[in-house]
Amino acid sequence: MKFVKHLLLLVAFCLVSSLAVAHSPLCDCFDNGDGTITCEGGFSDGSSASGVGMTVKDGAGAVLQEGKMDANSEFSFPKPEGDYSVTFDAGEGHQVVIKGENIVQ
Amino acid sequence: MSQEKLLVALAGQPNCGKTTVFNMLTGARQHVANYPGVTVEKKSGRFSAEGRPVELVDLPGTYSLTSYSLEERVARDFILYDKPRAIINVADASNLKRNLYLTLQLFEMGVPVVLNLNMMDVAERRGIGVDARGLQEYFGSPVVPTVGKKGSGAPQLKAAVAALADAGPARAFAVDYGPLEPFVAEIGDLVAADPQAAGAYPSRWLAIKLLEADAEAANLLARHHPEAAEVMERVQALRARFETEAGLSADRHIAFTRHRLCADIFRRFVTVPGEKRRTLSDKADSFVCHRFAGPVILVLILLGLYQISIVFGGWVALQVWPVWGSLESFTEGLLPAAGFLDDPLLRSLGMWTVKSVTAILNYLPIFFLLFALIAILEDSGYMPRMAFILDRLFRRFGLHGQSTLPLILGGVYVGGCAIPAVMATKAIPDERARLATILVAPMMNCLAKVPLYLILISAYFADHAGMAMFFIATVTLFMALPVAKALSLTVLRRRESAPFIMEMPPYHLPTAGGVLRRALERIWLFVKKIVTVVVAVAVIVFMLINFPNLGRERLEDYAARRDAAVDAFMAEVDKTSFKGRIAPEDVLALVLFEEDMKSAKRGVSDQARADAINARFAEANPVFYAVVSREGKDGKALNRALKGVINTRKELRRNMRAERFEASFLGVAGRALEPLTQWAGFNWRINIALLSAFAAKENSAATLGAIYGIDGEGGGSVEQGMLAGEEGFTPLHALALMLFMALYPPCIPASIMVRMQTNSSKWMLFSIGYQTLLGLAVATLVFTGGRLLGLSGVQAMWAFYGLCVAATVGMALIPEKTARELSGPQTRQPKEGIAS
Repeated sequence: MKFVKHLLLLVAFCLVSSLAVAHSPLCDCFDNGDGTITCEGGFSDGSSASGVGMTVKDGAGAVLQEGKMDANSEFSFPKPEGDYSVTFDAGEGHQVVIKGENIVQ
Repeated sequence: MSQEKLLVALAGQPNCGKTTVFNMLTGARQHVANYPGVTVEKKSGRFSAEGRPVELVDLPGTYSLTSYSLEERVARDFILYDKPRAIINVADASNLKRNLYLTLQLFEMGVPVVLNLNMMDVAERRGIGVDARGLQEYFGSPVVPTVGKKGSGAPQLKAAVAALADAGPARAFAVDYGPLEPFVAEIGDLVAADPQAAGAYPSRWLAIKLLEADAEAANLLARHHPEAAEVMERVQALRARFETEAGLSADRHIAFTRHRLCADIFRRFVTVPGEKRRTLSDKADSFVCHRFAGPVILVLILLGLYQISIVFGGWVALQVWPVWGSLESFTEGLLPAAGFLDDPLLRSLGMWTVKSVTAILNYLPIFFLLFALIAILEDSGYMPRMAFILDRLFRRFGLHGQSTLPLILGGVYVGGCAIPAVMATKAIPDERARLATILVAPMMNCLAKVPLYLILISAYFADHAGMAMFFIATVTLFMALPVAKALSLTVLRRRESAPFIMEMPPYHLPTAGGVLRRALERIWLFVKKIVTVVVAVAVIVFMLINFPNLGRERLEDYAARRDAAVDAFMAEVDKTSFKGRIAPEDVLALVLFEEDMKSAKRGVSDQARADAINARFAEANPVFYAVVSREGKDGKALNRALKGVINTRKELRRNMRAERFEASFLGVAGRALEPLTQWAGFNWRINIALLSAFAAKENSAATLGAIYGIDGEGGGSVEQGMLAGEEGFTPLHALALMLFMALYPPCIPASIMVRMQTNSSKWMLFSIGYQTLLGLAVATLVFTGGRLLGLSGVQAMWAFYGLCVAATVGMALIPEKTARELSGPQTRQPKEGIAS
């Protein structure tokens, strides 16, 4: 039953693998200067990021706000006080985390 | 003495250090091109031998000179038609017995041969003694020992080449084929009889090749000999007579004689250490090629390959992205400015093209790592062992041990790319298995197919997402294997098949320089081929999805909506102190100003630098800047209005794009196909998405998004858009769509690579045609069949999975009638060469 063994071997290849999408996720956030932050998302291959989940967390990691990229691949939220971070979450291996201190006006 | 340039060929088996000898002789003066009409790389260089200019051409590394593989044919044709004045035959001195097999065939071709005993240092280290002088006397041709890696022996080699090219060999060495000799002589006379043909080929060589039933030799004869048919008839008769007389076929006799002679020469001129020590390589092989440990090691290595190239490479790609991003914005700056609704053609076409190219360039880090790791696997000597372990499995499906690499690159486990996969089939020496691999490699799960899978799974199989992913990731292999077998039993039946002769070279520690050079060479080749193709394809696709343009009525409608947005904004302007400072025709400029400022600050995380950029923009246009950066009460108010204009513009542009796409040539084709594809559950919208995905693979998800027009209000994802937009769409539809996507050709660049590797447009069209039809057939089976049986999506999924596994097992059990029986002895000698 060598054949079966080989077959199992091949299945094993597949099992151990996870999925990866190699188009790179892109996200940039801008301080609008009116107490709000707007993030723009997308992918390196030009795909729209519409519908991608966005999470805003405070310095301690508590979730302040959750939402999704809109049809224009944008997401706006009120600028939190103190430390915060924004996560663009397009699935396993496709997350971008931006720290609040790096978001400038 | 003439100063004409000497043409010299460098021949040798793989792993004999041919490249180091080539570099040693030519230094940096090299030139890489392709052999005419094929993709085999042709490297040539120059050096001076005793003051005479020599052009050295590096022939592909081959074990033999049959016509099984492209490499062998290329090497043989070069010797035959370009008629080099001499051949330098590089042989691994530590592994001479096997290397001599090629040497004997080179002598047979009637060109003066310098036998170069390379890797003398390795031989010495292993206590192997080679009697170079004895060999020289035996062959009647010069024999020169070298250590290519250290560059020693180069002057002697050059001198030998110069002397041989002038004087010719002391005597022509010929293999004595014993009882076959009279037959060889008779055919030799026949083929030499025609004076016109006599110069076209060495007659003894051709006679032997004809007796070996070499297909290419028969073609050669037919081309040059006026009475080819009669000669062939005579050859057949003689072959038959020899077989009855000697009890084995002429080709087997020839191969046996050569092998016997190699062993004989080896015994006479090579001394091996008395006590046969097991080398380190042998010890390692007892693990690496072990029945149980072998596969485990293989899986671990593949896992590492995957982790480093795809996972780590994906991270690197992300870090490198700003480079490609800035390339995009740089081009954006050069092109004419954008319009409110429509951009100038030059801009939209230019940006489309650049984006298509950067989408591919983004994969470079992944490919670079992949190519480097493969170079390590090759240089270390593991690659042939991997092929050996998997050969038995793949053989059952008409593939070859060396099909492993192409299938991995294509994405046996999700995350490959068909382009390098098809490129990598070059190494498969078996023509039939090579074509079968080329034809099934695009069925693997290339990266570009994944976004579509993800969309469909999260929309329709959300409760079984993990299992659905496993299904699609593994079912492709269970479809590809039976298909490969079916192809090799049908359309590929008459293709030549070669025995699995794979030498297990001793393990080497790969050098950083060698690995780097190889990876860079391959990346460069990849970039050159793909980028040029992608540019051409991008232009065509652009035309197909943008023309014909929307009707006048629709354009006027959009223009009216644009004007309304501008008017609304102007009404706001007039309420503020900006009245009179911003005119209606400034609105577009203001929108673009805001866009430019944003992209200037993209990626800037330091307030000081952001301030500098702000200052620059403030200086360029203080009025616009005041609005964009919300200066004062009026600025704030107007900024809000500006946001409205910007959003309206984005929405209008998006809708226009989707609408134009539906009316375009591609869109019309999608509608035209609906009657056919409805049985597979595809409506015209999906047809359009699939057509555009083939044109430019990364489009599949984006196009579905565009088609399912997620409208401005409220947002929502593509999945939600699909769920809402297609009420009758069920998981069964989604399953059929996923399977079609898995089977049908991934993209145009990959198809062009098929064209390059098969060197035939017919094969390219065949591969596109059969994959599309197969995809459609499978989708129809699943959709229509599933509906008739009343299966749910998940049930249909596992029923189909079972069917595929059954087909795989069934196909594996069909014995393969092979032409392999014809191909002489040595059908399986994977361990050959290790012991010596």
